Amino acid sequence: MPPSLPTPVKHVFFSPARIWAIATNTLLELFRLKVFYFLLIFALLLIGSSAFMIDFSFQEQFQLLKDVSLGSMSIFTWLLAVLATAMLLPKDIEDRTLYTILAKPVPRFEYLVGKLLGVLLLLFISTVVMSALFAVALYGRQQVVIAETIRNYAGAHQDQLRDALRGIRESTFTFSLIPGIAIIYVKAALFAALTLFISTFASSTIFTIMVSIACYFIGHLQGIARDYWLGNAATGALPRIFLALVALIFPDLQLFNLVDDIVAGNSVPMLLFAKTAALGGLYACIYLLVAYFVFASKEL
Amino acid sequence: MSAISIANLTKVYPIPFRRERITAVRNLSLDVEPGQVYGLLGPNGSGKSTTMKIVLGLVSPSAGSTRIFGRDSREVESREEVGFLPENPYFYKFLTGQETLHFYGKICGLSGARLRERASELLALVGLEHARDRRLGGYSKGMLQRVGLAQALIQQPRLLVLDEPTAGVDPAGSREIRDLILDFKKRGITVLLCSHLLSQVQEICDRIGILHKGVLIREGRLDELISIENQTEMILEGASPEVLAQVRALLAGSGARLLAERKPQTTLENFFLDVTGHD
Repeated sequence: MPPSLPTPVKHVFFSPARIWAIATNTLLELFRLKVFYFLLIFALLLIGSSAFMIDFSFQEQFQLLKDVSLGSMSIFTWLLAVLATAMLLPKDIEDRTLYTILAKPVPRFEYLVGKLLGVLLLLFISTVVMSALFAVALYGRQQVVIAETIRNYAGAHQDQLRDALRGIRESTFTFSLIPGIAIIYVKAALFAALTLFISTFASSTIFTIMVSIACYFIGHLQGIARDYWLGNAATGALPRIFLALVALIFPDLQLFNLVDDIVAGNSVPMLLFAKTAALGGLYACIYLLVAYFVFASKEL
Repeated sequence: MSAISIANLTKVYPIPFRRERITAVRNLSLDVEPGQVYGLLGPNGSGKSTTMKIVLGLVSPSAGSTRIFGRDSREVESREEVGFLPENPYFYKFLTGQETLHFYGKICGLSGARLRERASELLALVGLEHARDRRLGGYSKGMLQRVGLAQALIQQPRLLVLDEPTAGVDPAGSREIRDLILDFKKRGITVLLCSHLLSQVQEICDRIGILHKGVLIREGRLDELISIENQTEMILEGASPEVLAQVRALLAGSGARLLAERKPQTTLENFFLDVTGHD
């Protein structure tokens, strides 16, 4: 009679701990791949942009810095989302690591959610670091401008100096910066989910990246195409249906482009931020769900 | 209750853009009893890997069923009690040996002190304590196989599925892995083993099934299958030439035929290990 074996751990139907283990492992993998080195490029861009500010007014200086920083953040987080996510699934399949994970009591849905969550954590950390670098650069620029202003207003009335300094401070850190950065993160998260979905049926990492890039352009151009074709009364029913389908499948990425208004210092309603974030979250959830349906029936 | 129960299993793969289909497994039925070491053999393309993947729930059958300790393989819960080592596994190279076991332990529901103790115990069992903090990217083939065995055991499964566990491993490492499998058997763990190294299969398996073109062509106890019924082997020690002559004379008059007479040989593996200084 063989010795009695210890009772193994009882399977839990849905385990946040299991998802977290996969997520933190994914984050560690991306971290040890040194993907954060791209942040150096971001820092260099910030420093480099200062070279062009010599003859600008302080409003123009702040606008340029915000434009370069937020624009770079948008590009870098999107790029990071696509590149980091595109290689996750193919790599696990090719290395047969996926077999060892799914041979454990790990539901395929939890595996996908864990992988996506790992990328979202990476994007969050990157966004926070870039935001901090941006804030430091902007604060530094503000202090330079304040020092110049104090020198220029030497001998002027104190009220005039006070008004000038208030104007500088109000132009620097505007309220909409934080929700604007949050929308940049939501857009990147949406693309991470989309890329994950594409990778569940794609034949290679390159194909996944190319399709994601194509979706990026479709998302940015569909608003223009829609306005042109739908504004034309001669457009037939079939093109209209096609455009409706495109609008449904691909989010209108122009809606997420609030950087121009933020840079110009325009007031952006909080409700708009909330709706945009909710739209991005909804698309991300739908892409994740569709990814699961494809992956659940995938033969390994 | 069988550890593995396969009933009328068939798997057909369609070929894209063609009307043909490939039948990887055809009407396979077999049972692996608890505590057995079962060898699933066959040439390349015979359906062994497909069968294993269906048992593990990685692939769905076209027909038939597979059960692990009575539970349908397609249920995630059935994998509570299974540990799997695939052929030529590549684990996450960026993880150390200890981190690898911690990761697999966490996805099996282990945590805290229990996980740390279990990981340390397994690293000691497979002889990788000295490499616990080294990343898997720096592991040799044999070390990867051993960490693979350790991750397969992390949740204390009752069933191990091992696909070519000694492929590409040197003789000393291969002997260690084989001894581990025999130890698992003593502990009552059921082992389903796929291997092309028939000499090893012969040493450790109780029962074998031979697949060919998706069909189970032979199945049964190993000692019964490979015994030559009408022959008897006797190994004598200390027999003088006179005693040997008497035995030959007795055989000559009895109707039995002396087929071969030679000195027994040790195995090439034992000889290799002796001269290279391993036990």
